Amino acid sequence: MSKNPDITVEPASDTPPRVSLWELIFFFGLIGLTSFGGGLTAYIRRLAVTQKGWLTDEEFFSALAIVQILPGARVVGISVYIGNHLRGLVGATVALLSIMTPPFILVSCLGLLYFHYGENTDSKALLAGVTAVACGLMASMVFEAGQKSIRGLFDVMMILITFLLVRLAHLHVQYVILLLGPIAIWWHRPRPDKKDEAPEQKEAVS
Amino acid sequence: MIQTFGHLVALFMILSISAFGGGKVVLPTLQEQAVNHYHWMTNQQFVDLFGISIIDGPSMMVVTLVGLKACMQYGYVIAILGALVATVAMFLPSSILVLIVGRFWDSWKTSPWHESIQRAMMPISTGLILAAAYIIARHSIHTIPTAIMGLVALCLMLFTKLNPVIMIVAAAGISWVFLR
Repeated sequence: MSKNPDITVEPASDTPPRVSLWELIFFFGLIGLTSFGGGLTAYIRRLAVTQKGWLTDEEFFSALAIVQILPGARVVGISVYIGNHLRGLVGATVALLSIMTPPFILVSCLGLLYFHYGENTDSKALLAGVTAVACGLMASMVFEAGQKSIRGLFDVMMILITFLLVRLAHLHVQYVILLLGPIAIWWHRPRPDKKDEAPEQKEAVS
Repeated sequence: MIQTFGHLVALFMILSISAFGGGKVVLPTLQEQAVNHYHWMTNQQFVDLFGISIIDGPSMMVVTLVGLKACMQYGYVIAILGALVATVAMFLPSSILVLIVGRFWDSWKTSPWHESIQRAMMPISTGLILAAAYIIARHSIHTIPTAIMGLVALCLMLFTKLNPVIMIVAAAGISWVFLR
């Protein structure tokens, strides 16, 4: 397990930190309120993993992959996962409500204005810069995720094959995961000679 | 009115659990249903509403506006109720699925396979993020100012601990002033 000196808070992965519901509401509410222009998962990772230390990068990125196999918006999925991870069912509910309420109100109001007055062209100019920055956020996550996930040539190849399958072959994301996942899991399968897995005991069924 | 609510719930619950690969994949189906099947809006209105919806929130916030428009004929209060019904129907089923799978995944933590799957999934996740960044770049980096803003944001993220909320708000301000 590589220790990254940049990360100040690294919680023990088996016991998520105790987080108050108010903190969850504020956290996801703020993200929901300022989540314009995409690149949101980068944003959630920076705040939840790097700044708050609520979960490790390993937990975050594997949960992200799982969320992408399932249907639905990625951002909502990862929020529900983090909420559940920290506070169970209540946490998941609070996360979902908090991340959805601000955009719901904002988008509904804009929709009403649109039907009342017609389209506002200024919003397009506003979005130009925001999406550019969102792109920068997303690109930064490529570097950080790469740093965490590459431990050998195999991992580099998986990253490239995934990218090519999605971009060039236009394969749907969940097919890519279902195709490459089993191969990668087999490659990284538990091996008895690995010392870090030694204390793990399989449940013996007699 | 009740019938419209029923149509909204039925349509969006199906779209919710069939949106494999994120919300955007069901966009063509949504357009077909909202414009040609239910005649809730014109094609141009649909495109305009999509443009509004990407301002804030997760992808597929356009369902909120489709719900709003579908019930607009009954007045603004019912329209907002319609928006709420559509949003819940779209985001609740997929969230319940994540909750169930997420709990199962977390409860599996003691198995050595958990570590294997985590390590296996991280490079795939990285590749998907790379693809997503590439797509966003193609739609957002058009001019030299936007390229500079993207690069500055990347450097700030990599080399400082600046809160991304501040970056997003600053970007909105800068483009409001200079790119208009």
